[in-house]
Amino acid sequence: MGTVDLQHVTKRYGNVEVITDLSLKIEEGSFTALLGPSGCGKSTLLRMIAGLEEITIGSCFIDGVDQTETPPSKRGTAMVFQSYALYPHMTVRQNIAFSLSLAHASRQVQAQQVERVSKMLQLDQLLDRRPAQLSGGQRQRVAIGRALVRDPKVFLFDEPLSNLDAALRSQMRVELAKLHQDVKTTMIYVTHDQVEAMTLADKIVVLDKGVISQQGSPLELYNQPANKFVASFIGSPAMNFIAAELGSKNGNAYTVTLPGGHSASIATRGGTASGNSVDVGVRPEHLRLGAAGAAGTSFDGKVGIVEQLGNSTLLYVDTPAGTLIVEAEGNLKVAVGDSVGLTLDPSRSHLFGADGKVI
Amino acid sequence: MAVSDASGATTGVARKSSRYNWSEVIVAALFVLPFIVVYGVIFVWPTIQMVWLSLHNAPLIGPGKWVGFDNYVKLFKDRLFSVAFWNTAYFVLLTVVPSTILGLLIALGINRLKGWAQSAILACFFIPHILPVSVVFRIWGWMFDSQFGILQYPIEAITGDHLPVFRTLPLFMPTVAWITIWWGVGFNILLFIAGLRNISPEIYEASELDGATRWQQFSRITWPLIWPVTVLVLTIQLILQFKIFDQVYLFGNGGRVDATMTLVQMIFRNAFQKNMGGYGATVAVVLFAIIVIFSVLQYQLLRARGGEK
Amino acid sequence: MTAIATDDALVTLSPRRRRVIKTLDIVGLIATLVTLLGAIIWAFPLYWGLITTLKVENDIVQPGIDLWPRRFSLEAYTHVLFNTKIGTWYINSLATALGTTFLVVFIGALSGYAISQLNFPGRRILWWLILASFMIPIPALIVNHYVLMANFKLINTWMGVILPQLIAPVTVIIYKQFFDSVPKEFREAAKIDGANELQLFFRLYLPMNWGITTALAIIAFIGAWNNFLWPFLAVTKEQAMNVTVGITQVTDAFGVKYARDLGAAMLAGLPVAIMYLIFQRRVTQAIMLTAGIKG
Repeated sequence: MGTVDLQHVTKRYGNVEVITDLSLKIEEGSFTALLGPSGCGKSTLLRMIAGLEEITIGSCFIDGVDQTETPPSKRGTAMVFQSYALYPHMTVRQNIAFSLSLAHASRQVQAQQVERVSKMLQLDQLLDRRPAQLSGGQRQRVAIGRALVRDPKVFLFDEPLSNLDAALRSQMRVELAKLHQDVKTTMIYVTHDQVEAMTLADKIVVLDKGVISQQGSPLELYNQPANKFVASFIGSPAMNFIAAELGSKNGNAYTVTLPGGHSASIATRGGTASGNSVDVGVRPEHLRLGAAGAAGTSFDGKVGIVEQLGNSTLLYVDTPAGTLIVEAEGNLKVAVGDSVGLTLDPSRSHLFGADGKVI
Repeated sequence: MAVSDASGATTGVARKSSRYNWSEVIVAALFVLPFIVVYGVIFVWPTIQMVWLSLHNAPLIGPGKWVGFDNYVKLFKDRLFSVAFWNTAYFVLLTVVPSTILGLLIALGINRLKGWAQSAILACFFIPHILPVSVVFRIWGWMFDSQFGILQYPIEAITGDHLPVFRTLPLFMPTVAWITIWWGVGFNILLFIAGLRNISPEIYEASELDGATRWQQFSRITWPLIWPVTVLVLTIQLILQFKIFDQVYLFGNGGRVDATMTLVQMIFRNAFQKNMGGYGATVAVVLFAIIVIFSVLQYQLLRARGGEK
Repeated sequence: MTAIATDDALVTLSPRRRRVIKTLDIVGLIATLVTLLGAIIWAFPLYWGLITTLKVENDIVQPGIDLWPRRFSLEAYTHVLFNTKIGTWYINSLATALGTTFLVVFIGALSGYAISQLNFPGRRILWWLILASFMIPIPALIVNHYVLMANFKLINTWMGVILPQLIAPVTVIIYKQFFDSVPKEFREAAKIDGANELQLFFRLYLPMNWGITTALAIIAFIGAWNNFLWPFLAVTKEQAMNVTVGITQVTDAFGVKYARDLGAAMLAGLPVAIMYLIFQRRVTQAIMLTAGIKG
C-alpha cells in the first residue's frame, strides 16, 4: 500500500502556471526525493499530494483511488513541515496525540499510540515538554512522530532538515533513512539539497520550472544526466561546461575541438547533434591533472585558486576554455600560478546540444 | 518556496481557489453572525434612530411630531449650546496639550531608570488611570474639600481663606482639567515609553561619539523620532476629552450646572432630565459629527505617518 | 554593554568634553529626582485617600495633617459593607463587567478569526465597516441606547447595562492581526490531522493566542467595571446599580462621613487595582494594542 500516481497535473495561480502537465508514478515503499531549485514547483507538487493545494487540472491517485477532491485528513497522507509547525501550546504528548484526539479516540488508544511512536523516536523522556523547550533535532523528531502516529500510507516531507545546523542535519539524515527501513512506508521528500536527495532517496525526481527534468536513481542522474540542468544541479562542485566545436562522427562518438586547439573523442548516448557547436560537460573529478604540455592533454592552464579540503583538493584552473574546476587528491603539492595540463576522461564526459539536452 | 507562498501570503488566507468553499462560508457566517447582530442592533439602528429622533419634537420615550430641522435651528440659537460647546472646547484645551507634554516629560524621566525602580515609578503614575471615575471623584473631592481638604492648607496660605474650589466658577474647569490630567496621564506615558523604547540605544551611542549634547540628542533624535507617537497621543486625547461628561458632571453636581455644562452633559440634560428626546438627539447628532470629523482627521494623520515610513 | 560602550566613547573624547558630560550627568540626576518627586505627587492622593479610610472619623476632622492615623479603625469599611447596598452593587458590577468581557472577547475572537482565516463573500466590506466604526462616539448614542433598552424592557437589568457596551471594534481588529500572524503551516498541519473549522478555532487559534485573549479580557473587564455614563443612565433603582454609580449617587442621609465615602470608593477601585498589580504586563500590552501600538 502507498502508491501515488499523478496524472497530467497542472497548477495555476491566476495566470501563473507553476506546474505544467506533470505525470508521475511513485511506487509503494519507495523513498522519492523531489529535487529542484527554489520556485521549481516541488513544494507545490507535494502540497497537492497532501491536499493542501487544489489541483487546477489533472488528478491525484493514492493507492489507485482518485483523491483529487479528498480533504487532506482523509487521504492517508502525513506531512512533516519545514518549520515543523508543532503546536506551541501543547506538550509533545498532546502534539503527537492531536490527530487522535480530534478523531475522538479514547484516552487509552491515545496513550498506546503515543507510547509506540515515542519509543520508536526516543521521545519517551520528552513527552511532557513543550516545543519551545526542545532542541532542533528533538522538534524534528516530534514532527515525525506526529506524522507517524497517523499510520499514513504516504509520508510527505517538505524540506524537513533545512532548519538544522550541518552536524545535526547529517545525523537526522541517518535517522530518516533508518526510519524508512523500519516502517517501509512510501516517503516523498522535497529538498533543494542534492546531497540529501542522493543519500536518502532511491529515486530522485528533478523538477525545473514546473516540469520533470529527469527522474531515476541517484546514480543514474549522476552518471547519465539527461540535460544540462540536471547535470549542473547534481554533483558538487558543479560540472564544468566547455563550449566546443563539433567534428566528425565515428560510430557512436564525436570528435570535438576544444578551446585551445586540442581535440577529444567523446561518446554519445545515441543521439545526433544538430548544428556544429556543443557543450562538453565533465565533472571536476573526471579532469586529470598532469604536467603542462604532456601528450594527450586536453587543456593547458594556470592554477588560479587552490582550496585544500583535506580529503581532496579543488583547483580553479584558468584555461582557454575559461576557469575549470578540478578535484584532485588531498595531499597535492601545487601552488597558485603553476602551469598544469588537464585531461578529460572521454568515457565520463557528456555532450549537450544547443537545446541543453544530452546527445 | 516562493511559488507556493505566492498563493495566500498577500491575504493571509489559505485560499484554495477564487470561488468560495460553501462549507467554509457557512462557518464564516456563523462566526460573524453575533458581531453583525450586535452591531446592527447596538450601533447601526441607534445611529439611524438618533438622526430620525432629532427631526422630531419627541419625549425620550414615545412618539413625537415631525418638525424637520427646527431642532437644529433652535439648537444653534440656544445660548446653553454655545456655553456647552465653549466649555467643552475650553476643557479640551486645558487637558489635551498639557497632558501630552507632561506625558512625554515623565516618560523621558522614567525611561532613564532601570529595573524595579522603573516599574515602581511607572506604577505610581499609571495606577490612577485604571481607577473608576467615582474613585477619582471621591479622592479629589476629599483633597479639595472646602472644610477639611488637605489642599485647603496651601489655598489658605495664598488666599487667606478656605475656598470651595468646585463652587468657584473660574477655578472649576482648570481644577477638573488638572484632575483629569492626573487621572489620564499614565496612558500617555505608556505610549511614549513604548515609542522611546523603539529608538535603538545605538543611535544615542553614535550621536554621543559625534559629540551631541544631551539637548541636541533630544532635539535632533528623540523629538523627531517620537513625533508620530506624539501625534497619536494628541489625537486620542482630543477625541477622548471631547466626550467629557463623568468628571464635570460629578464635580459640578449641585453647583451652577448650566455654567459648567459640556456637550454630552447637554444631551443628558435635555433627553433625560427635561424629557426632550428629540432635542437631546439633536445635540447628539452634532457631537457625533464633530467627533467623526476629528476621527477622520486622526485617521488621515496616522495614514500620513504610515506613508512616511 | 551600554556602560562599556560609553566608557570607550569617553576615552576618545577631549578632557573638556569629558567635563561637560560630568556636569550633564548632574542634569540627569536632577531629572531623576524630579521624576521621583512627580511620582510622589501622583501617588499622594491615593495614599491620602487610603490612609483617611483607616482613621477614626473624629480624627479626620481635626486640624493638622496626620500622615499616619493616630488611631487605626476599620469602622469605615465595616459600616460600608454592612450598612449600605455595596454588596449588591458589587454583584451587579461583577455580573455586568464579566458579561461584557465575555461577550466582547467571544464576539471579537469569532469575527476576527473569520475575517482573518476564512474566505466568504462580504469579508472585505465587513473589515472596512469595522475599521470605520472605530470612530463611533458612543456617548452620542446614549439617547437611543436608552430608548432601545426601554423598548426591550431592559432598563434596570444587567442585560440592559451590558448590551450597549458590546461595541468594541478594536477587539476584532486586534484578534484579526494576531490570527493573521499565525503561520499558515499550523493551519495546514491541523487540517492534515483532521481538524474542522470549529476545532481549528477552539483548539488551535484560540489557545495559541491565550496571551492576547487574557490581555483583551483584562482590559475589557477594567473598562466595563469603570464605565460610568451608561450604567448611570441605564439604572435608576438603587438595588440595580453598579458600584461605581452607587457610591456617587447614594449618599448617607446623616451628613458627610469622609472615611465612609472614601472607604466605599476604595472598595470600588479595589478589583481593578488588584487586577492591574497582578497583570501589569498584560494590561500595558493591551492598552498599547488598543491604541494601535504593538507592545
